[in-house]
Amino acid sequence: MKDKTFIIILILVTLAGIGITTALAIHGYRLWQNISIVEMIANWR
Amino acid sequence: MDKKKLVKQLLVIFLVVALFAGMDLCIYHLFIKRVTSHHSPGMQKMSVEVKNYVPFTGSENVFSAADATRLEGKIPVIDGAAALLPMYAGFVESIYPESSVILKGGSYAPESAMHYTNTRGAYKDIVDGKADIIICAQPSDEQLKYAADNGVELEMVKIGSDAFVFIVNETNPVSDITIDQIRGIYSGKIKNWKELGGKDIPIAAMHRNKGSGSQTALEKLMGNEPIKPDYTTLFGSPIGFSFRYYVTGMLGEGGVKILKINGIEPTTQTIADGSYPIAGGVYAIYRKGETNENVYKAVDFMLSPRGQKIIEQSGYIPVNVN
Repeated sequence: MKDKTFIIILILVTLAGIGITTALAIHGYRLWQNISIVEMIANWR
Repeated sequence: MDKKKLVKQLLVIFLVVALFAGMDLCIYHLFIKRVTSHHSPGMQKMSVEVKNYVPFTGSENVFSAADATRLEGKIPVIDGAAALLPMYAGFVESIYPESSVILKGGSYAPESAMHYTNTRGAYKDIVDGKADIIICAQPSDEQLKYAADNGVELEMVKIGSDAFVFIVNETNPVSDITIDQIRGIYSGKIKNWKELGGKDIPIAAMHRNKGSGSQTALEKLMGNEPIKPDYTTLFGSPIGFSFRYYVTGMLGEGGVKILKINGIEPTTQTIADGSYPIAGGVYAIYRKGETNENVYKAVDFMLSPRGQKIIEQSGYIPVNVN
């Protein structure tokens, strides 16, 4: 694999990873805002 | 040589993918899984959603006195804690004119005589003059200071009770706890469930927002003991707190267990007779020197047998229970 190709793939993979992780964190934060402490404990095994 | 380089490059890409996948799995297991709602209709009913407790809609969740005298003239704006909405929705349906309750798009309109915010919002609104009666647990020191800073004195009339309860996951073998142990947990002195006869697993002591009714109840229970911050609560097995009414609907769903305190279970009887040690009062609160007669009429109704019956039917403990 050429260095340039490798760097591009690495950047794309990193950007995709950051995007998915950020989306997951935002999704979790929104859920957290709407859940009661009681239900959270019920889910927490 | 090229092959070696290619293997190295693929390994780097694999490691980056694995790193993100690992992070995402951690986020899912430690966070998303715990905050995803699995509401069944029964649980939704008890999660105090505003649409289930709108007066004058024939809701089976709102208990009212059909023959009570309705207020006339200047109708006081009523607001309160989220956990107490079923109670004051019943008061409103009993004595407020139907036209005074205005719901727009699922929320109460600013001109409505009934509002629904939460403990923090209600205490702010009564001081700011946006509410005339609020139904809440005792105020926090900050809420009292806010009132004092604004030259407002609050009159608090106890109209009922509910228990302040501590809850754990149903799989937790610990069923009984003492008040000293609660103070130990929330001050950070007791860190592991094995110290309480449970499994060898850290205690994740959960909190509520500052100014919420149950967080204020915890602060009062802790006294001068400083409360450990809750950002350390990702790992271990959780303990949390709430008011009994808020939790009881969840019990049938499984998942949570209310702890006995000093061996006493919070029941209607133990709360009423005072043997459950951390029962909390429910108060009708208004500004001292209030000139609107309807405020006093509303509070009188809450303390009357019909008002007390609504408190009982709504799932709380009346003040005059035997």
